[in-house]
Amino acid sequence: MLDWLLVIAAILCALQVVRSPRLLSSALWLAGVSALVSILLYRLGAPEVAVIELSVGAGLVTVLFVFAFNIVGEEGQTAASLIPRPLIWGLVLLAAALLGWYTLPVASFPDRAAEPSFAVVLWEQRGLDVLVQVALIFSGVMGLTGLLGGVHQLRKDQALQETVSSLPESPPPPLSTPEYEPAIEEVQV
Amino acid sequence: MNALLSDPASILVIGMLGLLGVGFYGLLAVRNLIKMVAVLQILIKAAVLALVLAGRASGQVNLGQSLAATVIVADTVVAVIGLALAVQVRRRCGTLDLKKLSQLRG
Amino acid sequence: MAALLITLVIALPWLGALLVWLVRDRDENLQHSLALLFSGASGLASLVLLAFTGSEVVIRVPVGAYFGDLTFIPDGLGVFLAAVAAVIGSLAVHFSRDYMHGEAQLGRYYALVLIFIGAMAALVLTGSLFFLFIFWEITALCSYALISFDNDNPRAVAGGIKALLITSVGGLGLLAGALLVYSYLGSYEISTVLERSGELPAPALAVLAFGALIAAAAKSAQVPFQTWLPDAMEAPTPVSALIHAATMVNAGVYLLARFFPAFAPVPGWTFAVMLVGLLSALLAALMACTTYDLKRVLAYSTISQLGYMVYAIGAGSVLASQFHLFSHAVFKALLFLGAGAVIHSVGTRDMRAMGGLGQKMPFVRNVFITGALALAGLPPLNGFWSKELILEAGLHSGPVWAFALMLLVAGLTAFYTFRTVWMVFFTPSRVSEVHTVGAAMKTALAPLALAALVSGFLAGPFDALLSNSLPFHQLHAESTGALLLEVLSAPATLLALAVIAAGLAAWHFRSALTGLQALAAPLQRAASESFGFEWLNHQIVAFVQGFAGFLRRSQSGQISWNLAGIIGGLLVVLVILLWAVQV
Repeated sequence: MLDWLLVIAAILCALQVVRSPRLLSSALWLAGVSALVSILLYRLGAPEVAVIELSVGAGLVTVLFVFAFNIVGEEGQTAASLIPRPLIWGLVLLAAALLGWYTLPVASFPDRAAEPSFAVVLWEQRGLDVLVQVALIFSGVMGLTGLLGGVHQLRKDQALQETVSSLPESPPPPLSTPEYEPAIEEVQV
Repeated sequence: MNALLSDPASILVIGMLGLLGVGFYGLLAVRNLIKMVAVLQILIKAAVLALVLAGRASGQVNLGQSLAATVIVADTVVAVIGLALAVQVRRRCGTLDLKKLSQLRG
Repeated sequence: MAALLITLVIALPWLGALLVWLVRDRDENLQHSLALLFSGASGLASLVLLAFTGSEVVIRVPVGAYFGDLTFIPDGLGVFLAAVAAVIGSLAVHFSRDYMHGEAQLGRYYALVLIFIGAMAALVLTGSLFFLFIFWEITALCSYALISFDNDNPRAVAGGIKALLITSVGGLGLLAGALLVYSYLGSYEISTVLERSGELPAPALAVLAFGALIAAAAKSAQVPFQTWLPDAMEAPTPVSALIHAATMVNAGVYLLARFFPAFAPVPGWTFAVMLVGLLSALLAALMACTTYDLKRVLAYSTISQLGYMVYAIGAGSVLASQFHLFSHAVFKALLFLGAGAVIHSVGTRDMRAMGGLGQKMPFVRNVFITGALALAGLPPLNGFWSKELILEAGLHSGPVWAFALMLLVAGLTAFYTFRTVWMVFFTPSRVSEVHTVGAAMKTALAPLALAALVSGFLAGPFDALLSNSLPFHQLHAESTGALLLEVLSAPATLLALAVIAAGLAAWHFRSALTGLQALAAPLQRAASESFGFEWLNHQIVAFVQGFAGFLRRSQSGQISWNLAGIIGGLLVVLVILLWAVQV
């Protein structure tokens, strides 16, 4: 019963993320989705990743969104989507139905067998994944500094553009095309 | 059908499918670039849920958890870069609307 | 020993290509000399290889599980074609010393010619169908690059692209055939295919046989793919001599000859082959009678003679076909190089602007006439013997009407050959300025003329070479004397000679035949329009471009539609998965 409530609440929050007109509201609904998914993960018997999901999804990402739309500012929201709604609903329902058809029969929880602890699995068996994550974070930071640090470069480029466009333009040199022998005509004499 | 409604596995699969469906709907319907990043986040949550579900169904919860943790890190980096790109797009092109962006030249 | 020789034949030109390219375009003489050295060495190695033929695999290089082994077999069919490619290649390279004197980017030219020679030799010597396809495509690439060598000339570029497109269609058919063979027989080896072709289900074998026919027709410029060869004449003439007369266009005929034992039992295949050869020979001969461009005449005559070879394969005589291939390579290279000498001296390809060159260029006139007589099929030149063998085989095992038409083509061949020789060398001179013919050109032409005179008498050893090393083809060898006697005593020979004489007479007395000419006027017009094949090409191109324009509208540039497309793709994958799992 609790599971049903959680699931329905998560789906409704997700819908509100898409539908709400203001970006701040969307970010808050997203935090709500994160929290509910985190509880579901805990109920699945995965407490470690539930904690990660909660702190990252409901914490970090929400802060990021707030930062982002503080810089960007609000924009007038147009409700009309570019693709006709029936098509969207058709594709979505069809995809979900097919996937459900595929996965529902297979979903069943056996009793939990003994297995190595999360720490052992993460650090020893999937150690390479951890390295990949470190590389990902590193490249993310580099990308971020490159993207946001480019603002100064942008302003310098704009200044340079203005000085260049004020110079007079010289006409390009004329191209000379070589002469080729015309195709031999097959005219009957 | 009763079994479906009460079996926790099925409920969670339906939940995952629901999030996936909302995510797809958002992908196709959203016009604001920053909201698009939020929709991607929803999709990733569905994926995380699916991973842990699969782990539980095959008896290897901790493996599912490790993979899910990796996915969460990756999706956070995606969110960061996506938002930084959105900020830059707003600065250079003046708009975040997808329709206007696809008509811009240069 | 054979392994070493094969390696030399293939690797020396490629090494030479690398060196010529590294030398850069600073020193023209060094480039000429290097190219000649490496192609000549390869030619020498290929001639020595003639003594070491056999039907066993001598080189085997494993290249991974999915591509089979790269094998080379020095059997008679491959070795003689490799020798033709390498020897005529080196003569064409030598000819280029004078013809391409002072041209820009010679490094690119020689490198491409050398790569081509190596790839052609590898194509005919390899025993793996997959690698045959790879070398096939390398030769097509070199052909394209050399046709559009003068890449500022839009006609040359257009000709190159046309050649590439049409021969690539054939190449795709070859690849499909190779994959089909692999999926059924588990191996790419040609000997496996020939041995176990009976194991393939009849529809698969039919697809394979007709696919090979299409690939061969595209490569050898047979109907309906013949439109690329006349336009490929924009290439420098030594290239035309090497690639579009002596070697690459033979690759299609080689393919048919190689796989003949496997495909002959397919119902309708031999008739289709014969028909393709017949139509190409007839249509091309008619087109050659109406054109005023010297190289185009030779291009049409190449298509026509290749039609003879294909017709011979359809009639079941691989020996006659390959012997004519050998003769044709010799005399057609001779004619092209001679034409090159003429064009280089006069500065134009239009025969109406030539004339009276017989007195100004006696050496070229003599060698050109030798080649022309061989093309027309007059004894004792090599063209006579090989053409008669083909006509005999056609009479023996094909329908009589086909034989009659091929006889007509022989007459037409004599007609247009005589017309060409007359217009270039004997009419009152319309030429103002004639540059001298260089020594390199002459020394390249002389061996070919000699070969045209005597190579007919090599029929016996040629026969023996092929039949000894091709176990699946079940060829019966005869000595030279027996073959020549057979030709001389056949009634078909007399008939053919009579027709050829009629052809020659028709040109000589053309002023008296104006009535016939008026009657044939619609045919003339159709021939100069290439019987509608160019129109067909234009229609296909227009259709493709129109369709592309229509498809362009599906790319709106809006990301939402692209995302919808992705989700649609996901749906397709899911449906396929479910369907595959349930069923």
